[in-house]
Amino acid sequence: MTVILQHAMKPEPTAEEAARGRFVSAIRGFILNDLAADLNQAYHRRAVPRYRAAHGRDPASSGDAHKAMRGDPAFNIYSAMRVQAQKMVWASVADGVARDAARLEAFAADSDVELKPGFVPPRNASAIDVHLMPGSYTGGTGLAAGATYDRGLAIFSMGLMGANLDDIGLSMAAYIQHRFPDYAPQRMLDIGCTIGHNSLPWKQAFPNAELIATDVAAPGLRYGAARARLQGVDARFVQMASDALDLPDASVDLVFSSMFLHELPKKVRAKTLAEAHRVLRPGGLMLHMELPPNGQMAPFEAFYLDWDSYYNNEPYYKGYRDEDPRALCVGGGFAAADYFQFVVPSIGIYGADAVAAAATSDAAHSVGAETTGRLAEGVMWFGYGAWKR
Amino acid sequence: MNDQRPEDAPKGIYGPDGEPIFFSEPGVDRMMAVIMNLASELWVLTEAGLPADADRDAAAKAFIDRVFAPLREPQ
Repeated sequence: MTVILQHAMKPEPTAEEAARGRFVSAIRGFILNDLAADLNQAYHRRAVPRYRAAHGRDPASSGDAHKAMRGDPAFNIYSAMRVQAQKMVWASVADGVARDAARLEAFAADSDVELKPGFVPPRNASAIDVHLMPGSYTGGTGLAAGATYDRGLAIFSMGLMGANLDDIGLSMAAYIQHRFPDYAPQRMLDIGCTIGHNSLPWKQAFPNAELIATDVAAPGLRYGAARARLQGVDARFVQMASDALDLPDASVDLVFSSMFLHELPKKVRAKTLAEAHRVLRPGGLMLHMELPPNGQMAPFEAFYLDWDSYYNNEPYYKGYRDEDPRALCVGGGFAAADYFQFVVPSIGIYGADAVAAAATSDAAHSVGAETTGRLAEGVMWFGYGAWKR
Repeated sequence: MNDQRPEDAPKGIYGPDGEPIFFSEPGVDRMMAVIMNLASELWVLTEAGLPADADRDAAAKAFIDRVFAPLREPQ
């Protein structure tokens, strides 16, 4: 489904650019729904029997499933097409971003963003073309990286992240409000916010709280600040690293992230959770929307999500998913008893009542179920967090 | 560890150019990209010929389902 961005900086594509974007969204839908189903079928029909014959047992891990699938026609087709489709996402928006440079700068001129003089972004945000995005989060000139991300995500997400690309933030915030109705943060921090698309829902959920959206990459922050202002959302966009927060101890009530931790090297990630613990006030909440952990998934489902680690320039993805989220929180200083995890239905697809039901009932959607963490029809988001006591 | 690659990447899954290899004939990986580019350009021409009130998203899906049907696993 074609997404029309909901702010004044949205692209004004030529007819050809719009058609190319629509094609890319549609081919991604074909790959992630139809070819993914074929992949699953091929795994059970061919790969498992082959693996069993060779090793005397079924695949027992994501790595085993990966080895079992390599060379299978369904894997080759799915993978070759998915890599090319990813490149086409960024290619389909590049001309428009370049053409809009002056217009974007004009929007950003009236927006406040707090950049740190002399700050050097870490290599994981600058040296790797993360998810095959040319120039990663810091490349190009001006706001190009931010605009590329916003417009590219609109095509990449096939409508599943909402018209404002904020379904994750909306779903998570609604879940927390329903599950913890007495929780009333006054100061909220989004770490690794990119362009703030999942930060803004928290301001909508808690309008009296201060929202600080942070990231290491200046283009996304500048773009995000303008994007928020144009949508009438009051938020600060501040350049800071998640593993060295420029904030006093016990100064915030929420530390949130979405699809961020898997982009960090292991040591940076551990320090990030420790920093979250440090800056949270007692009674505050650390909450992450992320990919579900391998330890809670069957081999094929685990491998299916680990695919990005090998083929989509997400080198820390699998290493993150091999970690236990409870252990990560404990390592950061949180008590094991204060950890919780959940699966929340996409609020855009399933509606607010479904989110409320997930938050208030004992029925839990399985972490390992087919649609958890997958950007495909029927998407469910995995989240986890810990309270600071 | 190479910045771009996970530590446990199996040997032989990337070519000398750093691009992943899927098919046993490396040219086929590049040909898949060509096919997808061609399909995209054909779609651009197809969409330009649609009536103004056409459901373009539905038409794109139908186009892709038709063109790429031979890639599907037998059911």
